[in-house]
Amino acid sequence: MIKKIIDAIDERIGIRADIKEQLTEYMVPSRMNFWYSLGAVLLAIFTIEIMTGILLLINYIPSVKEAFDSVALITGTIPFGWLVRRVHVLGSYLFIITLFLHMISVLFMGAYKKPREIQWFLGCMIFGAVMFTCLAGYLLPWSQLSYWATTVGTNFPSSIPVIGGFMVHLVRGGELVSQSTLSRFFTLHVVVIPLLLIFLIGAHIFAMHRTGVSNPPWTTDTTKIPFYPKFFLGDLTIIYIFLAILFFFVFFFPQIGFPPDTLVRANPLLTPEHIKPEWYFLGSYQVIKIIPNKFLGISLQGVIVALIFLLPVIDRCEERRVWKRPIFASCVIFAVVAYVVLTIWGSYS
Amino acid sequence: MEENLSRRSFLKKAVGIVVGLTAASSAAPIVRYLIPKLSKEGDNILTNADGEPMNEKDIAEGSSFVGSSAFGPTIVVRNAGKLIAYSAVCTHLGCLVKWQQNDDTFLCPCHAGRYDINGKNISGPPPAPLPKYSVTIDASGHILLGKV
Repeated sequence: MIKKIIDAIDERIGIRADIKEQLTEYMVPSRMNFWYSLGAVLLAIFTIEIMTGILLLINYIPSVKEAFDSVALITGTIPFGWLVRRVHVLGSYLFIITLFLHMISVLFMGAYKKPREIQWFLGCMIFGAVMFTCLAGYLLPWSQLSYWATTVGTNFPSSIPVIGGFMVHLVRGGELVSQSTLSRFFTLHVVVIPLLLIFLIGAHIFAMHRTGVSNPPWTTDTTKIPFYPKFFLGDLTIIYIFLAILFFFVFFFPQIGFPPDTLVRANPLLTPEHIKPEWYFLGSYQVIKIIPNKFLGISLQGVIVALIFLLPVIDRCEERRVWKRPIFASCVIFAVVAYVVLTIWGSYS
Repeated sequence: MEENLSRRSFLKKAVGIVVGLTAASSAAPIVRYLIPKLSKEGDNILTNADGEPMNEKDIAEGSSFVGSSAFGPTIVVRNAGKLIAYSAVCTHLGCLVKWQQNDDTFLCPCHAGRYDINGKNISGPPPAPLPKYSVTIDASGHILLGKV
């Protein structure tokens, strides 16, 4: 019966030929390894985030009076609500870690170089959109931690001369984090940024199809083989390993991402002690803390982001093998170590 | 041929202008819709978290109170019998300061910024003093705040 339906569809729009050409018989380098599967892992986690997000939306109420109680209801009363919420939160952490790994592997393999500059630009935009949607989603539970972390986070642009104050006002929808901010962040988190991400991810995959997957720089073997079945099964295996890691933390360390201040309703008239942002913003937070001039701290980070984004324009050398690029490799390793150190420092300072 | 090209070029420009005008006329109200209105200025009453006016008698000597006003979160301290009021919003990253009775300073719990009793930033990352407000008491004992 199902075969007959598929046959009927195929007869009319030729779907089988497209699947063969674009997916199963799409030719990829035969020497791909684990690092090439991270894109598929990201796609799988993104799908999980969308699905759990939709489930959370059924019971979440985006109002300052009801948001905290609705999240408590999801976590404590709705069957498997705790599971959906924790998978959504810890899934976002795993998404960011995998995104970091994916970008680092692209850097080391020189896969951002011509003709793949557009993939790199789109990838950076995806990274920025993901960080922003995480910031927006963090406010939604309306807990003490989410309220004050958002207050601090949205205050960063205030140091920009002339337009800084206006930008803070625009992002918050008023002077302070309030119902207007919650409504804005809710809209961004559940509609605007997910749609943007779907578009950017689609464009990223489209560009990858057009340029072809980069050959591993460590081999001169340029043989290509169909994506299916070898790499399809390889990607599936890596996806399941990452899912195993996700659910290991969901079941055995469910408190990760939920410190005590997440269990207290937001009080706009009381800042708790030692307020800290989410772990992926701790490096940035620590830079702001150690550089006395806020504008300087933010500008420095802006310059670093611009350099990373424009890397394919700056680094035009054709060499992709990392052992032939010692200065570049040293810079990447230094940047990664600096980020990790600043993150750890930020969590203890 | 020449005439066809000219028609085509005219149509291209006309379509461009129509689409451009449509986009611009739609964008203007959307942008204005997103820009929040500025809060009103002038004297206003200090209220608690439930929006009820605070009475000056509720603030004892040496103690403080953080409440809401049209200026945003506001901290009021009674020092030597007199009420003094400042914005409670730390000028560093927007956390709310707390009054430290033991050393007569305001402390920001986020990054340990300190201000003296006059609102002046004395240590830590805050780049500017706390904005000061004038305090007057009305006949009912409510605390009215104003710009200094």
